[in-house]
Amino acid sequence: MGRVAEGDERAFTELVRRFQGRVTNLVSRVLNDREASEDLAQEVFVRVFVHRRNYRRGSKFSTWLFTIAANLAKNEIRRRVRRRNWFSLDALQEVLGDSSPHLADPTEGKETSMQRQQLQGMVGKAIASVPEKYRLALVLRDIEGFPYEEIGEMLNIPGGTVRSRINRARGILKRKLVPLMRREGTQ
Amino acid sequence: MNCGQARNLFSAYWDDEITQGEREWLESHFSSCPSCRREYDALARTLEALSDLPRVEVSNGFADRVLAAAKRRSPAVDRMPVPVRRWVPITATAVLLAIVAAMVMQWSGMPLGPRHQGSVALEQPVLTQPQPVQTEPATPAMATVTSPDWVARAAGVTDSLFDHSEDVEFILDPVTLRKGRAHTVVRVQPEPARGEQAVITF
Repeated sequence: MGRVAEGDERAFTELVRRFQGRVTNLVSRVLNDREASEDLAQEVFVRVFVHRRNYRRGSKFSTWLFTIAANLAKNEIRRRVRRRNWFSLDALQEVLGDSSPHLADPTEGKETSMQRQQLQGMVGKAIASVPEKYRLALVLRDIEGFPYEEIGEMLNIPGGTVRSRINRARGILKRKLVPLMRREGTQ
Repeated sequence: MNCGQARNLFSAYWDDEITQGEREWLESHFSSCPSCRREYDALARTLEALSDLPRVEVSNGFADRVLAAAKRRSPAVDRMPVPVRRWVPITATAVLLAIVAAMVMQWSGMPLGPRHQGSVALEQPVLTQPQPVQTEPATPAMATVTSPDWVARAAGVTDSLFDHSEDVEFILDPVTLRKGRAHTVVRVQPEPARGEQAVITF
């Protein structure tokens, strides 16, 4: 990052290659939008480059990077909710709603790759239905595997708050997913 | 401990952030409470489903696109100006105006601050018209400047600047210079002047 701060483009490209997967994955899981995630991930890295002189040497680069990513993802969630509220309350309900009828279809038979994809789609939607302040902490912890302390730094909240948010998010997610998994298990 | 306390430990148990005592207690609780066991298994399956989600990969050439976008955006920041001290032009303008005002006032003979009065008096010989009013005969100490060409020049300048609709005539007190300051020398008998008389001291 020191080289990037001095404007070394090759070093910056290396940095992007090293973190592009994790950043895009984080954004994609938080937004549940594969197409938009790459654009937002690109914006994350552009901001890293533009604000490279603001990076404090000695601090952990990944924390700084994911702080930017989390903030941009948060802004995007809020922008989308505002836009949906403006156009249609039903559209918001669609995002937050349960799509279990797809999984409950008895004609689908044994688990196929399509079913697996459907389940993953449902998990993605369930994550997206968790309130934003819990969702970011959940994805950072349970998908990206960051330690609690680092998540606290990224979200600028104390470690205890991180723990309680993640605990809460896990409970919400469990209540949404367990009925789906039970149905699938009984088929 | 009861089931509620046990369920509060589920998350920490999953993260392996639990004390040895809590772990032993929770595991013994699981063996005696099938309901809590099922709840914990449900949580574990949920979190496994999260970790089983496929990683989202970026398309080819992502890093190059990022670099191009970053370079397009970067000059704007590189050109970001050093914070402008807004008080500088304001102060400079104020100082300039003050200087201009002082020059105009000095040129026009209007009184300035006390330190300026002496210098004005010394730089500008005082204008005195021949006195049509009847006063005491002028003593030698009452020096008057009566140079006709100087008066003409000064009159030419002042005419363009002032309204002479209410002209007054002046009688000057004599002025001496001590240590760079002008002092009035009072030698004139305080005879009341007949007619309008103004006295300017420096």
